[in-house]
Amino acid sequence: MKFLISLFALLAPAAALANQVELSSEVFVERNVEQADGTVTVTHTEPSQVVPGDSLVFVLTYRNSSAEPVANFTATNPMPDAVAYRDTDSPGAEFSVDGGTVFGLLADLIVTEEDGTERPARADDVTHIRWTLAEPIAGNGSGQLTFRGVVR
Amino acid sequence: MLRYPRHFARISAAKAALCSAAALAAAMASPAHAAGTLAGTSIVNTAQATYDDGGTTVTIDSNPVALIVDEILDIAVTSTDPGDVSASPGEADAVLTFTVTNGGNGPEAVVLTIDPNMAGDDFDPDAVTLYIDANGNGIYDAGVDTLYNAGSPPVLNPDETIAVFILGDMPAAADGERSEVELTGTAATGSGTPGTVFAGQGEGGGDAVVGSTGATSDDSGFYAIFDADLDLTKAATVLDPFGGSTQVPGSIITYTLTAEVTGSSTLNNIVITDAVPSDTTYVASSITLDGSGLTDATDADAGAFDGTGISVALGNVAGGTTRVIEFQVVID
Repeated sequence: MKFLISLFALLAPAAALANQVELSSEVFVERNVEQADGTVTVTHTEPSQVVPGDSLVFVLTYRNSSAEPVANFTATNPMPDAVAYRDTDSPGAEFSVDGGTVFGLLADLIVTEEDGTERPARADDVTHIRWTLAEPIAGNGSGQLTFRGVVR
Repeated sequence: MLRYPRHFARISAAKAALCSAAALAAAMASPAHAAGTLAGTSIVNTAQATYDDGGTTVTIDSNPVALIVDEILDIAVTSTDPGDVSASPGEADAVLTFTVTNGGNGPEAVVLTIDPNMAGDDFDPDAVTLYIDANGNGIYDAGVDTLYNAGSPPVLNPDETIAVFILGDMPAAADGERSEVELTGTAATGSGTPGTVFAGQGEGGGDAVVGSTGATSDDSGFYAIFDADLDLTKAATVLDPFGGSTQVPGSIITYTLTAEVTGSSTLNNIVITDAVPSDTTYVASSITLDGSGLTDATDADAGAFDGTGISVALGNVAGGTTRVIEFQVVID
């Protein structure tokens, strides 16, 4: 079963529970840097500060620290308010545009405007991105999920 | 393929569950600023995962990643006069209107400077002053709008636009001469090449970063002298009772008053008056304007005779226009 989970989990002290799976989150700023010879190099830096318009790459890394396979793994990333979703290279992503109630392919989602009119959802509307792994994570297995956003 | 450094953090499932109710309420509403997310806003990203552990579902949170949004410095100055501002020679406090916009994402003081002595124009205005539109109506109001104080420049919120006014006194310039006056607005934090960073000087504790405008902007307004003069000439022709031009009793004198407005401006409310000479009598209903007859009564038409002289109200006459008035008297 899948259930709603926290959107804005605040800093919580690390607990000593021995979770089988660890999830880490990293954010990189992606910039196209023009070199002296005219070529453009894409750079990724781990920032503490960003400006509106910055492209961000979010990287979720999961690792099964046990020897046993882990089934029914889902990873959900609520979009921070100030970040607009752009795209993902990781297959199998589902999206929510209503705060995490309904998930589906972005092309299938509908947004209801304040005046009651409906329109197809856009990337800007995404409030959550979620992956459900079809296969169990093998013992001591790991993987990464990435998506891009832009600072509004 | 990108490679990312890896590190891990563990947060208990119980803690994560406690947070979930409050979190759902905060799901929507992103700031819709043209300038982008406000400076100082904190962006915190935390992902969650669930998995099955021997029949129970375990929820874990990732480590939170916190970013702070830096302040972008962007200023735009625009002249909003539809064209040259017309002024007459010697006119005091002729007004040029500009807008100043904070295109950045944080409140920013904008330092304003005026250059009234631009090269390549015909004259420079005197006693130039700068006023801030205090009541926000976009129009200069003497006694209401506030004089710019360089020691305390106006602070504009993100996306805020204010109107400012340059007041200048016109010298004795000639018709058609122009003057350029430049207004420059610069972010008080700093300006320079886009991307220049002022560390720690951003709103909310981050850096301030010069945006695409360079955090400084200028635009020019123009005064144009519009002047006009009225040249009035008077001529007379005489027709005596015998078909000649001798001035004898009974001779009719036709006076021709030619009013020519010169220059590029318009003279308003022109009234031409001429007294009937002594020893002559006005010929009733003899006033004409550009060949068309006018009545003697003080009424809707432009002409009138009041018993001692004639008057013709020409109203507002544009430069380059000539009006011709004629009337007749008979020698007593």
